[in-house]
Amino acid sequence: MAIRTLCGAGLKVCALNSGQRLDPGKDFRNHRMPWEMKYRGFGDPQTRIDSQPDFVNTEYVPGAWERELVHTTAPGTKWIWPRCSAVGGKTNFWGRSSARFAEIDFRAASLDGHDVDWPVTYEEIAPYYTRVENMIGVASTVQNRPSNPDGSYLPPFNFRCFDRILQAGAEKVGVPYLPDRIAQLTVEHIGHPACHYCGDCTSGCEVGAFFSAPWFLLPSAEASGNLELRTNAVARNVLVDENGKARGVAYIDRATRQEREVFGRVIIVAASCLESTHILLNSRSRPWPAGIANSSGQLGRNLCDHLYGTAASGYLPQLLGQPSFPDNVSDSSIAWMPRWQNLVRPNEEIFVRGYSVYPDGGCSEFPSYFDEIEGFGSSFKREMKRRYPTPVSFTPQIPSLPSDKNYVDLDPAAKDSCGIPKLRIHFRWGDNELAMWQHAKHACDQVMRSSGGVVDYVAEEPESPGYSQHEAGTCRMGNDPKRFVTNRFGQTHDVPNLYVCDASVFVNCTDKPPVLSILAFSLRTSEYIIEQLHRGA
Amino acid sequence: MARQNVERREILRIVTIAAGVAAFPGFSKWTFACGHPAEAFAQVKPASYTPVFFNATEYALVELLCALIIPSDETPGAREAGVAEFVDLMVSRDAALQPRFRAGLRWLEAHSRKLRGKPFASLAPEQQITTLESLAYKRKFRPGEEPGREFFDLIREYAVMGFYTSEVGLKQLDFPGLQFYAESPACPHKDDPEHRHLPPPRF
Repeated sequence: MAIRTLCGAGLKVCALNSGQRLDPGKDFRNHRMPWEMKYRGFGDPQTRIDSQPDFVNTEYVPGAWERELVHTTAPGTKWIWPRCSAVGGKTNFWGRSSARFAEIDFRAASLDGHDVDWPVTYEEIAPYYTRVENMIGVASTVQNRPSNPDGSYLPPFNFRCFDRILQAGAEKVGVPYLPDRIAQLTVEHIGHPACHYCGDCTSGCEVGAFFSAPWFLLPSAEASGNLELRTNAVARNVLVDENGKARGVAYIDRATRQEREVFGRVIIVAASCLESTHILLNSRSRPWPAGIANSSGQLGRNLCDHLYGTAASGYLPQLLGQPSFPDNVSDSSIAWMPRWQNLVRPNEEIFVRGYSVYPDGGCSEFPSYFDEIEGFGSSFKREMKRRYPTPVSFTPQIPSLPSDKNYVDLDPAAKDSCGIPKLRIHFRWGDNELAMWQHAKHACDQVMRSSGGVVDYVAEEPESPGYSQHEAGTCRMGNDPKRFVTNRFGQTHDVPNLYVCDASVFVNCTDKPPVLSILAFSLRTSEYIIEQLHRGA
Repeated sequence: MARQNVERREILRIVTIAAGVAAFPGFSKWTFACGHPAEAFAQVKPASYTPVFFNATEYALVELLCALIIPSDETPGAREAGVAEFVDLMVSRDAALQPRFRAGLRWLEAHSRKLRGKPFASLAPEQQITTLESLAYKRKFRPGEEPGREFFDLIREYAVMGFYTSEVGLKQLDFPGLQFYAESPACPHKDDPEHRHLPPPRF
């Protein structure tokens, strides 16, 4: 977003990207069936990485996910960190869920007394949300919910059979079940084609029918003639002058392993929360011995993440033996159960704040419910067929509260293949998020029961931290330079020509996914930069 | 909404829009694939297969077990889908899996000889089924057969992975994905939100 906005304003931008540029027609899945793949889409077992989720080893988009681990974990920490360094990063493959943050999020601390408020109001950010929604196209409906301000929407996705069954059941127990906000085009939108509902999404959209940076932002930046994009350029540190002002970036060319430098008037880090923090921590110099823009000591602190897990899965007997139906239209959810807890009073529950849930189900590409069916032979085959339209599952999106114990620093004893010190992660789920996890399991069980469903699996433990890839908070924004890394515009307090444009500036992660807000805050930051440059600052 | 086959005109329209946004290298594979799925992706099975990991005896037993788990009955089964070849490939690439498969096959052979005095493959089909039933159904479990049960779960998992990612397997499920739909598929049972009055099950 920053590249597009700055280039559009006539500024010359040199963008460093640590990975390659993908070619949608060649590098994405392009409707290939599992039987066209040597390992049927499961990936080569020999190249599987135990500490990474299976999709990192994907056969459909080989090379899109990084294989090298550039982090270590402190004792007691589990953290998985899938990294996509390709141009556009994770937006190539993301889940597309796009709710706005709300005033109830920005003012959460005032409401419940935990941590600090955001330095912005909803009213201030709302116009940026609207502009971003109009730019990328978000399908949803007006829902009038206090935690979920409505935006500017394309027609929603239609509900499938299992959505309507679960919706009826959820309503009976007072849980909302509504169309999610999805950055996936239900109609043509400013030159981008409508979705064709094939379900390829998380292996990349070859027609650009959902928002990703390469399909939606890069073309206009490139057309401006103001962009120089350097790929396979791994940023190592921000270079400073004798006064500590940023003057450039040192990077390593992945192909040649040569170190190179590039200089500019303004430096923006926008490499995703942890990658950006990694670069800043590694930018140690005489003026900045603990990492650039870290006079507050807060750089790398307050790491937040979304707790994910299977709160319930099972099946809907109503649909047993019914014909198959194209349920898999997004490779993830199109509905949500938006936060319904602690809305009237902030302390109604035994936890503060709240979480949302993504329900999903129906006819999928792989019938993973086979585990729940006993036996073998013709009766097993019949049961596999009968169950095909019936599976449903629920994934809550639970925000962790910022904590002193959750942070990142540089590992003094480990370096990556570019010679850069690895990032060391210190993280554990806190009591508040674990209380929400228990609450979510109970709520999803109730929804299933009142829908006539059968629950056959509930995860004991949530997924490992890092699994959601929604980390936030390590360069957080605030008005006090002693307590925050950046100001309310994403400009670092210490170094006026150094900016941060990703979820690391977020004060916490809320119960909403980060991408829409990253775009809105980045648009605002970029325009602030343009304004500052015009003023000659 | 009824399932739609690809409408070439609609695809061409999308391609044109996509081409306007950025260089778009080609849709030919997809238009072809969607228009003629069977021809485009017909699986060519070799007449004879030489296993990569298993020896000939082991492989014959793997083939037999896969065919018992997903039999060829009124619809094609593991044999038609080449499931044993997939199992051999996956095991050949997975060092942690190899000893588990090898020990499991050995256990089943020894078990069959002990119980009925014959290798598993030489048992009558009903005897093969009875032997597997005590490994597969909780109510039929017998003490001392834990290693056999664990192996049965393992080979069943790989048979399922191989079968339901094959063309015949996904056809059996009537897999509706990776196709072109002109609009967002919607539940067709407008007046029945709870789906209590659906037509009788087809399967």
